Amino acid sequence: MLSYRFLFEQMVRRELRQKYKGSALGVLWYLVNPLVLMGAYALVFSVLLRVANVPDYPLFLLIGLIVWVFFSQALLAAAPSLVTNASLVRKVRFPREAIPASVATVQLVTFLVMLVLVTPVALVVRGTLDPALALLPLIVALLFCFVLGLSLAVAVLHAHYRDVEPVLAAALLPWFFVTPIFLRVEDLPGVDSRAWLGDLLQWGNPIAPFVDAVRDVLYAGVAPSVGHMAYVAVVGLLALGGGVALFRRMERDLAAIL
Amino acid sequence: MRPRPGEVVLNNATRSFQVRRDRNRTLKELVVRRSSNSAAATVKALRDVTLHIEPGEAVGLVGRNGAGKSSTLACLAGILPLDSGRAECGGRVVTLLELGAGFGADFSGRENIYLNGALHGFERDEIEERIADVISFSELGEFIDLPVKVYSSGMFLRLGFSIAAHMDADVMLIDEILAVGDESFQRKCLARISERMEAGATMVLVSHDPSAIERVCRRVVVLDAGRVAFDGDVAEGLMAHHRLLGTSEGGSRSVRPGHAGALEVAELELQDTLGRSRNVFRPGEALRVRMSLVTPEPAERVVAAIEVRDGRGETCFRTDSVVGSVSGTVEVSFAIDRLALLGGDYDVAVGAAPQDAPEGRWLDRVARLSVSSVAGGHGVADLRGEWSVAGEPAEALAGRRSL
Repeated sequence: MLSYRFLFEQMVRRELRQKYKGSALGVLWYLVNPLVLMGAYALVFSVLLRVANVPDYPLFLLIGLIVWVFFSQALLAAAPSLVTNASLVRKVRFPREAIPASVATVQLVTFLVMLVLVTPVALVVRGTLDPALALLPLIVALLFCFVLGLSLAVAVLHAHYRDVEPVLAAALLPWFFVTPIFLRVEDLPGVDSRAWLGDLLQWGNPIAPFVDAVRDVLYAGVAPSVGHMAYVAVVGLLALGGGVALFRRMERDLAAIL
Repeated sequence: MRPRPGEVVLNNATRSFQVRRDRNRTLKELVVRRSSNSAAATVKALRDVTLHIEPGEAVGLVGRNGAGKSSTLACLAGILPLDSGRAECGGRVVTLLELGAGFGADFSGRENIYLNGALHGFERDEIEERIADVISFSELGEFIDLPVKVYSSGMFLRLGFSIAAHMDADVMLIDEILAVGDESFQRKCLARISERMEAGATMVLVSHDPSAIERVCRRVVVLDAGRVAFDGDVAEGLMAHHRLLGTSEGGSRSVRPGHAGALEVAELELQDTLGRSRNVFRPGEALRVRMSLVTPEPAERVVAAIEVRDGRGETCFRTDSVVGSVSGTVEVSFAIDRLALLGGDYDVAVGAAPQDAPEGRWLDRVARLSVSSVAGGHGVADLRGEWSVAGEPAEALAGRRSL
């Protein structure tokens, strides 16, 4: 277990180095993406369409976006990770989980950097310095469990069925639009008369409650409800357990498949 | 029962692969079931392989391409699961299946030592204890702190080997890596391997280079089509290996262009000192070229000729002798005390004809002669001798420097 930790640390360092090689701004580049998205969506939804009557709308957007970017970038990076490290899998015996796990962890590092930058801004702009903030580390940990579990799953699935990555890439765009990033589900004009649609958008999409929970704490300064936290905990742990189980089951023949 | 540290056990190990025209499965194949079985063919990489290696032994695995050598190593390393049977190594295992597998290209040599050590299951403090030795062995000097992407392939190799060779393992599994790199480093590697063996480590080495196997191993296992074809002494083993590589055992073929009815060499074989028919010899061995001449009608003043040609068809040696009058069958042989050829494939061509026969009427049969290679020289003729430098005996290298 101890050696696993040292190996994992080394693998994460390798991934980090590979990701930020030769870029002077390094991790800062990864802030540009959500900031640009934030600017564009704020313009469209708040200024042009005027559907969003949310105070401090850019901040509202940004918090949702960094959660989404973490989630989607981690899955997109994890899916091909076993295939790109095929020579390592075929030639060295080590716990293979370390590959997708280190890729997801690198995305976590980026996410944490953004969170560290966004949190003080939110606290100042929104005045959300509230005991609820203490829940943030727990929510982030559960979010990481969720992302890690899915990363393990998509990596090992993609090693077996090479169209997992393109399918995932294609699915993420519509998934983004049904995730409550632009507006809270209850603020969507279309769900007033159709409560079931609101419930589906809120609870049928497993990433939505994570987005909401982070936003509750940072933007609204309130703690998510007990039910909401329970949902996040169950989904996070189920995804991790399921991902690990699937990985264990399907990793046996990786050296022959890759 | 767990094997003791350094012990290697393969029991009835069987492993096959699904080989597909299109290697990767897609979701479509999963849905449309029938397409998946039509494209798949099963290749048996290991069939019921049983091997037992004692701690401290060095075993060379040889065989043709696809004989199952690399699969055997991968199964022993636990990288590839078996379909049935058992593959286990006792104690700590270090694999050198591909040098630099898992190197981070943007990591410096030093950082890669940590990464690679971690991949082999070593802790930070274990690596720190050895890192100075690894760096000095690798001869990388100041390059050790540059990213490995600027390394030459030789530097890459030196670093990879240095790491693996300094991680104290009970079992080292090595695949075809000593063939690369410059000679002095190669010798250093072999010396390091011997050192590790003296310390009690077990070595399983796959190589196409018989001289590397000869220098390290006492025991050779020849694999053929996934089975153990030979297991024993290194000289016999390499011979068995060459037999598999060469033509059918002891045979020869006729190349006479169909003027049947005239005098000809009906049989040709190469024999060792015990009179056994063989096609594979080691440099320096004794061998006898035996042929039998057959003629339907008595012939006068017959001459028999033997010519040895190298792989490119150049004549290495030619000799002939008067046989005299021949009627019926006559046995002719040519004994060589010491085969003065270096490793490679040669043709032994023979012919017999009346002494005034025109050119082009002589060649009758050809036998393949495979000479197993040895260290200490390069070329066709075996002129190996003793070097001395300033009066001190010195070791011959493999002779790779062309002048």
